[in-house]
Amino acid sequence: MNFNPDDPRWTAYALGELDPAERARLDQVCATDPAARKYVEEIRALAGGLKTALATEPALALRPDQKATIQAKAESPSILRFPLHWALSLGAAAALVLIIGYTLFETRPPQLAQQQPQSEVKQDATIEVALVDEPALELEKFEKELEPMDRVSEMVAASSPAPQAIPPAAKPMHKGWADASALAGSFGGGRVMKRQAVGYERLRSDIADAPAESGIISPSQDDYDVIHENPFQRVADHPLSTFSIDVDSASYAVVRRYLTDGQLPPKDAVRIEELVNYFTYAYAPPTDGRPFAVHLDAAPCPWNPAHQLARVAIKARELDKSSRPAVNLVFLIDVSGSMSSDNKLPLVKRSLQTLAKQLDERDRLAIVVYAGAAGTTLPTTRGDQTQAILEALERLEAGGSTAGGAGIQLAYDTARAQFVTGGVNRVILCTDGDFNVGLNQRGDLESLIENEAKSGVYLTVLGFGMGNYKDSTLELLSNKGNGNYGYVDDFSEARRLLVDQMLGTLVTVAKDVKIQVEFNPARIAGYRLVGYENRMLRKEDFNNDKIDAGDVGAGHNVTAFYELIPAGQPVPGPGQVDDLKYQAQPATPSASTDEILTAKLRYKQPDGDTSVRMDVPLTADQLDREPGRDFRFASAVAGFGMILRDSPLRGAFGYPEVLALAEPNIGDDPGGYRREFVNLVRNAQALAGACNHVPVIE
Amino acid sequence: MNPNPERQQWLDALVQRHEQPLCRYAYSLLGSLSAAQDAVQETFLRLCRETPAKLAGHEAAWLFRVCRSRALDVLRKEKPMQPLAPEHNEQMAAAGPTPAQQAAQGESEQLALRLLDTLPPNAREVIRLKFQHDLSYREIARITRLSESNVGYLIHQGLKTLRQQMSVLQGVAS
Repeated sequence: MNFNPDDPRWTAYALGELDPAERARLDQVCATDPAARKYVEEIRALAGGLKTALATEPALALRPDQKATIQAKAESPSILRFPLHWALSLGAAAALVLIIGYTLFETRPPQLAQQQPQSEVKQDATIEVALVDEPALELEKFEKELEPMDRVSEMVAASSPAPQAIPPAAKPMHKGWADASALAGSFGGGRVMKRQAVGYERLRSDIADAPAESGIISPSQDDYDVIHENPFQRVADHPLSTFSIDVDSASYAVVRRYLTDGQLPPKDAVRIEELVNYFTYAYAPPTDGRPFAVHLDAAPCPWNPAHQLARVAIKARELDKSSRPAVNLVFLIDVSGSMSSDNKLPLVKRSLQTLAKQLDERDRLAIVVYAGAAGTTLPTTRGDQTQAILEALERLEAGGSTAGGAGIQLAYDTARAQFVTGGVNRVILCTDGDFNVGLNQRGDLESLIENEAKSGVYLTVLGFGMGNYKDSTLELLSNKGNGNYGYVDDFSEARRLLVDQMLGTLVTVAKDVKIQVEFNPARIAGYRLVGYENRMLRKEDFNNDKIDAGDVGAGHNVTAFYELIPAGQPVPGPGQVDDLKYQAQPATPSASTDEILTAKLRYKQPDGDTSVRMDVPLTADQLDREPGRDFRFASAVAGFGMILRDSPLRGAFGYPEVLALAEPNIGDDPGGYRREFVNLVRNAQALAGACNHVPVIE
Repeated sequence: MNPNPERQQWLDALVQRHEQPLCRYAYSLLGSLSAAQDAVQETFLRLCRETPAKLAGHEAAWLFRVCRSRALDVLRKEKPMQPLAPEHNEQMAAAGPTPAQQAAQGESEQLALRLLDTLPPNAREVIRLKFQHDLSYREIARITRLSESNVGYLIHQGLKTLRQQMSVLQGVAS
């Protein structure tokens, strides 16, 4: 090998981070190449300088009362006396109780504490106060430790032992280096003079820039909005359930990525509707000239046989490939430094190359990149000039920081300049979500995307990579732009989204599709919508054509499940609202009809502004059906999502039940996606099982 | 009174060794001293529930990772942080280096610190973990849930940017 200052291995070498074999190879290069030696010395000098400088930052410590609390906890010999099986079986929810549990041992026999763990929660505050008021002796001890400055620096030194020998590497270090070393440029190079260097201030302003709801979060943290599971609703109090359709499937790819990497996904990364809608189901297409067909049926609920599981199944009309409209695509590609890893920009390139090969002379394609500055890499080019497109893709390189806003503007301008009337006009944003826009600019960005959608240019967002993945931002942007949103974790996913589904993803057959379900209280006591938590609408939004909702592309299928509680059974959840004293009594439930519920759908034609409504009832004879293969498989996927989200509503439904429901219903499985699902369930099962034995690091 | 002095010693030693580094780290994520202290306290309380055998060999990575997770929970649950309350600023000022220390400190190191704060947050975090807390790439990968190669890349790229900018600035100065 030769010395290359852009190869991160040289930095790793200088810092003593390479495994012995690799180090020996670089030693050899160093022996002959003075440039390499100079580089290594400079890196070490900089490292030394940084260490010295960072050591001068203010020393921070806990407050004495906090240390006393810790000390008290450490001294309670709880782990030894505490029966381990108790701790494990109660699981995460009991963590608080566990802490309290052992402080109780000072005064109570262990058996008592074990028998009544729940009832002790309220005593928490009292106990904590008691701990704070530890004997003066303890406090003195800690203050003595904190005081002298020389002690402090000693402790800092002690916490920074001499560079350790490299731990025997579990993974080879070089994975991904090849791409990284191909980088030109650096991030933020030369722009520092304009920025304010205000220490900690910046991180805080980064945080403040994030949308308040998602509350972002931090350096390199995958960012998912918190999802609160839809609870059961009483039909008497809430006879209507309204939501927007969702055909995204990004969450499935995120979950797969985690499970393939050997980790359980974070709860809030799991969106059940996106898992269910990842799969293709054999729903019958419409025959009445409408853009989609709606099918309703119900069967006993797999995780609670006393309940029914009702399915709303939507199938959009298919388009013949040869009759697809011309497309005018502008790829807006993030080439910032964070895109360099091999599951990002290189994957974008390969994905787009595959798509480019599907285009023909009717189509138009342009490429805009953004990083430090936005620019056009490929001006609008005819779809049959495949070679020119491929070469432009090949030239893309990562490097520079992100200026998402300017890039989006340029992409929309390019798309509008080549607008194809009657065709598909779309900006396809490929990014890891690291938009370098502040709070105000973020609002501007959203309104820009929203306005452009009105002009007929829609937005597709493809998320790549995991490290900086800002899930909520990307989904929001695509929703504003009448667009769709996918997460691309590997090449087969890229092919699925861009090629297999290209027609479906790109050609919208109906937009702003909303569903409102009305339940018949004579038949149904309560219900809950499984998933779709961030797609819920207010009941009055249903008839308001100004309210945005999801779009359906040609050939798409969409599935939603309701868990139904038959009339006469109790509805779990908060207590019933008292009967109203002054309001007109509701009409007697219409026991005369055998309808269980009615699903009302509203949608607009892709170029229309006024919605059309269609009603589909579910009748009693459609309850308790022997479910078909697709129903069973989809309900297994929903149940899997509930387990990953640790939903209390799944009852005793566990991984074995998911497997028993999914595996016999794999069917033909073109593409092998269902088979892959079964493997993921096995992974999750193994990981969840393993968590009981190894330390859980969160 | 205490049936397990070894376990006690183990806990004491870990608290002693990691309290200040963890506080600095949590502060760099949260920007608030009291929030950082709470995250670190919570981390140690969780440590009290572990056994030495379970964490053997990766105590530091465990502590930083739990601390990071606590800090992110705080950020997630609370609204974006308000500007530091005056008391915090005073506390920070009181804890900062004395003028004499500052004078002794090399100018280029001051510069490096200032420039460090201009790097992207993820680069800043891994550089702090590497050079302030002396953790290996592998440990940093475990703490941040990045891949090792990603950590290596961030550090490489971060140092490269710092080097370039320092040489530009020092060139201007001289």
